[in-house]
Amino acid sequence: MVLVFIRSVVIFIALLIFMRLMGKRQIGEMQPYELVVTLIIADLACIPMQDTSIPLAYGLVAILAVFLLHQIVCMIDLNFEKLKTVVSGSPNVVINKNGIDDTQLKKNNLDVSDLIESLRIEGYFSLDAVDYALYEAEGTFSALPKKDYQNLQTSLPVVIVDEGKFDEKNVALTQKNRAYYLDILKEHGCNNLKRVLVMTVDGNGRVYLQKKGEKYEVFTLDWQETLW
Amino acid sequence: MIKTIVSILISLGLITGLSVYELYYVNDTFSFFRQAVLSLYDKTEAGQATYEDGTAVQLFWERKKRYLHIWLPHTSILEVDYQLYEAVGYLYVHDFESALPKLEVVLGMCENIPQAYRLSIENIF
Repeated sequence: MVLVFIRSVVIFIALLIFMRLMGKRQIGEMQPYELVVTLIIADLACIPMQDTSIPLAYGLVAILAVFLLHQIVCMIDLNFEKLKTVVSGSPNVVINKNGIDDTQLKKNNLDVSDLIESLRIEGYFSLDAVDYALYEAEGTFSALPKKDYQNLQTSLPVVIVDEGKFDEKNVALTQKNRAYYLDILKEHGCNNLKRVLVMTVDGNGRVYLQKKGEKYEVFTLDWQETLW
Repeated sequence: MIKTIVSILISLGLITGLSVYELYYVNDTFSFFRQAVLSLYDKTEAGQATYEDGTAVQLFWERKKRYLHIWLPHTSILEVDYQLYEAVGYLYVHDFESALPKLEVVLGMCENIPQAYRLSIENIF
């Protein structure tokens, strides 16, 4: 029994560490330790239930061990603020007044397209429609919209450059070519495509451009017609 | 908070209690059983063991293994069964030479099985 207990503790801690290292991408509306408990408990119950050669006591002790660890982590979560950050993580602000914070994104194994997807799910289609956006410790996404954000999203923005790479499909959608966008980037002080964190454009020619480590800028292209 | 602490203490108490009892029970059972097999081994070596001696050890094992099933994987217990039953079978036909290696295996198991469930680094990992 003591072996089962210690093995359960080792696996629980290992899973918790790996869940934390994997970042918020792997978690969905659960604290990391809650996800670990959910992952372990199902197997703990099933294996001794199906395999009659394993004493039921092994499963019961392992479940008891997981329950004990859950209670300990719950107590830490409620009473020890610093340890709580280690065990459960903390919210990460991924969009602030300067635009996207790619360091925070990378810390959670997320990229710009994941962020854009999260924004769209929340109903914000333009990157500059929000002042702040953050991933909570349990992986859910929250955003604080700008006052007049409805006016900023009259047409769906598409990603033209995502972390230094052109999205050819979207470039074609805008009926332009790479050279056209490279010229625009040059005009805005960006000679190296790899320096671009994200560039989106909507059907009205409204561009959101953010270079790595710099504040974002928004400008409108001189398009004669609305494309979509 | 108090409820959480109480549940932690109860769980810890249960796990500690079960672990200590298991260690004690498994060691004790195999220690007694080893003594019985050892005396059967000595008798077999001297050519004096009877089928009744063998069945007496077998009966002792049967009684003990009922509760061992709670603590040990059934496959470990099954291995002892096989070897012991074969040894008793050889005793029935007075084939002491064939019975001895089987009893030796059982003696080895009496030492190895409790060790496999003892608290040690190699057993944890």
